Amino acid sequence: MKDTGRWIAAIAVLAAASAGTAYAHHAFSAEFDPNAPISVRGRVTEMLWANPHAWIYIDVEDPDGEIVNWAFETSGANGLIRRGWRREDLAAGTELVIEGWQVRGGGPSGNARSITFPDGTRLFAGTSNPDAQDD
Amino acid sequence: MNRVPSILMHAVLAAAVTAPVASGAQRGADADAPPPGPVRRMPDGTPDISGLYSANAGGANYGLEREAERRFLTPTSRGVVVDPPDGILPYRDWARAERIDRERPHRGYDDPTAHCFVSAGVPRSIYVPSPVQILQPPGYVLLLFERMAWRQVPLDGRDHLPDTIRLWNGDSVGRWEGDTLVIETRNMNGKTWLNEAGDIVSHAQTTVERFTPVNADTILFSATVTDPVVYTRPWTIEMELRRRDDEILEVACHEDNQDLGHLREVRDAWRREQAEGGAAR
Repeated sequence: MKDTGRWIAAIAVLAAASAGTAYAHHAFSAEFDPNAPISVRGRVTEMLWANPHAWIYIDVEDPDGEIVNWAFETSGANGLIRRGWRREDLAAGTELVIEGWQVRGGGPSGNARSITFPDGTRLFAGTSNPDAQDD
Repeated sequence: MNRVPSILMHAVLAAAVTAPVASGAQRGADADAPPPGPVRRMPDGTPDISGLYSANAGGANYGLEREAERRFLTPTSRGVVVDPPDGILPYRDWARAERIDRERPHRGYDDPTAHCFVSAGVPRSIYVPSPVQILQPPGYVLLLFERMAWRQVPLDGRDHLPDTIRLWNGDSVGRWEGDTLVIETRNMNGKTWLNEAGDIVSHAQTTVERFTPVNADTILFSATVTDPVVYTRPWTIEMELRRRDDEILEVACHEDNQDLGHLREVRDAWRREQAEGGAAR
């Protein structure tokens, strides 16, 4: 019940759409390729709770059957906290579908535009620059 | 038990953050500006502007001039330049060319904030998407930026530092003019960018910022930048700062700055292409 109360409070705060405070510290268009949209499905190996950005690591099976660990950038830890996230929210092993844009140069890294659970429920990610939505 | 409310919350969030961006129809202060009202005051009658504020920045961190189209992964800049009246920064020709060049992907590495330099400079620190805590101890105004930088502004009328001393946030001296806090800043090092798009200032930059409370929770902020190396005339930006019931948090930017490695790879790839092109010729 305690947790439920916490989330309800978070919803109330967040539904008010407070001014954004994500930590955008670099030019996203310089880092990520608008011509390289990607969509991957796999299981979370780690949620790296850090600044200037938090990262979701996810094991993805490539067409050759090899497992590649992808990294997807989200908002920074402060931005996530203010949007109601807690570091324990995304447990290792959670299956996700992540859409976004790949880093320039083509490595297994990207900027998450949307994250969904297998049942289609959307897990908010925005871009790693969610402040861009409401600044 | 935990998962269900968490998912619900994120669904709400998804709706909240995909709301349309402001239309960009108005420069400077936003169209939904709070109405004027009584301001908070110190016991001596000086306005009490202390508190945590976020700028209603209109995308200033991604461009000061109004933009017609939204850029990839960034908001459309509302345009915060109120002088010149056309909203166009009065760049010298060389500087406009440099400004355009800075938008190329390989230049992203050059923005000091990408390196986690704690100071975004003046006035950018006000409108980066991180809040600022304003404190008013006797004789000073302190600006504490969540990006773990600060500005100490004495109000005792002292002179600026010698011209040979150059700083990321410059040297600020403040005074009250009626209900407006005026801060003059010199001694900049010329290394800062005014936003991610690369609007320019040089070592010749001087800035006059004005903080005018318009009600208990809103400050009208303006900054007039004079920099004859880069611009043909001074220019002014304007936006609101809105008080929030919140506290600043820690931002340890160096902790995990993976982005800088990516930006360096983009820059190095561009350099290799240039070198190979040169060799081919």
